[in-house]
Amino acid sequence: MELEPHSRVAIIGGGPAGSMTAYFLMDLARRIDLEIEVDLFEPRDFSLTGPPGCNMCGGVISESLVQKLAISGIHLPNDVLMDTIDAYTLHTDQSHVRIRAASEEMRIACIFRGGGPKGAETQKPLPWQAFDHYLLELARQHGINRIPKRVKKLDWDGDRPRVSWGEGEMRTYDLLVGAVGLNGSGMSMFEELNFGYRPPKYAKSYIAELYFGSREVEQRLGKSMHIFLLNIPRLKFLALTPKGPYATLVVLGDEIDKAMLEQIFRAPEMVGCLPPGWQIPVQTCQCQPRIHIGPPRHPFADRIVMVGDCSSSRLFKDGIGAAYKLAKACAYTAVVHGISKKAFQRYFAPACRELDYDNLLGRVMFFMDDHMRPFSSIQETLIECIRQEQNDPASPGKLSNAMWDTFSGSASYRTILANTASPRVIHHFLTTFFRRLLA
Amino acid sequence: MLFNRRKTSLGKTFQSGEIIVKQYDPPGSMFIILEGRVEIWVDDGGKEPFLVAVLEKDNVFGGISLYDNSPRISTARALGVVRVLSVNKRGFLQWLGEDPTFALRILLKMSERIRTLIAQLVSLRREVRELRQKVARIR
Repeated sequence: MELEPHSRVAIIGGGPAGSMTAYFLMDLARRIDLEIEVDLFEPRDFSLTGPPGCNMCGGVISESLVQKLAISGIHLPNDVLMDTIDAYTLHTDQSHVRIRAASEEMRIACIFRGGGPKGAETQKPLPWQAFDHYLLELARQHGINRIPKRVKKLDWDGDRPRVSWGEGEMRTYDLLVGAVGLNGSGMSMFEELNFGYRPPKYAKSYIAELYFGSREVEQRLGKSMHIFLLNIPRLKFLALTPKGPYATLVVLGDEIDKAMLEQIFRAPEMVGCLPPGWQIPVQTCQCQPRIHIGPPRHPFADRIVMVGDCSSSRLFKDGIGAAYKLAKACAYTAVVHGISKKAFQRYFAPACRELDYDNLLGRVMFFMDDHMRPFSSIQETLIECIRQEQNDPASPGKLSNAMWDTFSGSASYRTILANTASPRVIHHFLTTFFRRLLA
Repeated sequence: MLFNRRKTSLGKTFQSGEIIVKQYDPPGSMFIILEGRVEIWVDDGGKEPFLVAVLEKDNVFGGISLYDNSPRISTARALGVVRVLSVNKRGFLQWLGEDPTFALRILLKMSERIRTLIAQLVSLRREVRELRQKVARIR
């Protein structure tokens, strides 16, 4: 079961997973002189501001993904970049430390997934371009056919998948790719195809675009993403990312509510990152997207494969990097090895398994963080160790690197754990801990 | 402007004439040209180094010392303002193992360069042959 000349591929969903799958399919097929037709179904216009054009995400492209995209021939244009980052600032309840990038260059991109926050449309034309819009256009330039319609139904035409849309239009395909994300109703259409697919487990997050103005963003946040390890009940992760005139707030935790947000904005370390006298706006662009926390079941079958968030992804970070990984694996398998369940099992499933297995280690790390957070002495020791590494140019900065990889999403949880658990880091941590205790 | 965007770009910018990597330096990262042009010079011990290639956007340089872990074999210099993105040696070697299409892309870039080098070699041989014929005629 292989893609043949003039085979038809349908991709449902035009977020990064869908667009990148389309792009890599066309790119690889062209390299082996295989002419295929790719239809990508995406009803949304990602150049629109606010919820209609947004794919709801923290919007940070990791260091490793920027490099992988560049090697793959995808160079993010300047107007897609809302900002670039060369540092992470780690805040605890009482202090903070800045971790600088190892290289003297900008390799982390802050982007908007849609046309921008609600309210930005008052200025036309906007001086930026949505990341998702850029990728979709790139795929279109590579010869895919974008159908700006909502898919109404998926079913089988014999052994081939069939897509119905618009006013009774339908088409049978040789391969169907699901890139429907976690937030729409797309996953249930794939469940109804009865190939065993069950969506991944998910939790809710909270994202808000806070308008500070460019000068205040520069002054308060600089070229750094701010991560807060605050001892607030039910809070797992909190980050503030500079994006031109905006700062994107990302909150992960259990039952995020108004009381938790008020507590966050009252925390002294957070107040230091906000403009003086700043109040929570009554109407801000905010959303509560689902985030991936557990693997799906049977994300592929003969002639069907799921990519992006509705398949396997990374726990709490680098969702776009995970989408890239599966898009590449999907395109490579389909073009080079075929579109049967067996081919996907052999060449696509390892990429899913790697993400799923790594997330288990990520879970252990988050569990440890959850239980250590109430002990401020542990957190302050961590800050002190990183500060010492950052102030010592001769230090290999193993802990700083591990923290950098954790926040930037540049490395797997396995690599991060291996770096953190090195004898040198443990020795440094314990000596600093006891020195602080005795002092 | 209310919703202005901070002017920013990825990678590192070099001004015209600045050296990006130097021949004989220890091996390190590979570079991708995001913007501008880069000259590749080789010093063969003669009076002056000679120009081997002028690379444009999307081209890769610095890869050879990354693959064979030997010192840099040429000097890369910015021709006008240039923006490049460095690619970590460790990361790249790891990604090569994970993603076969990376190797394909690098092979394509290398074959383009080999084609250009062979064309240069052919033209040099032709020049040498013509010079030899001229010398023979003079004799």
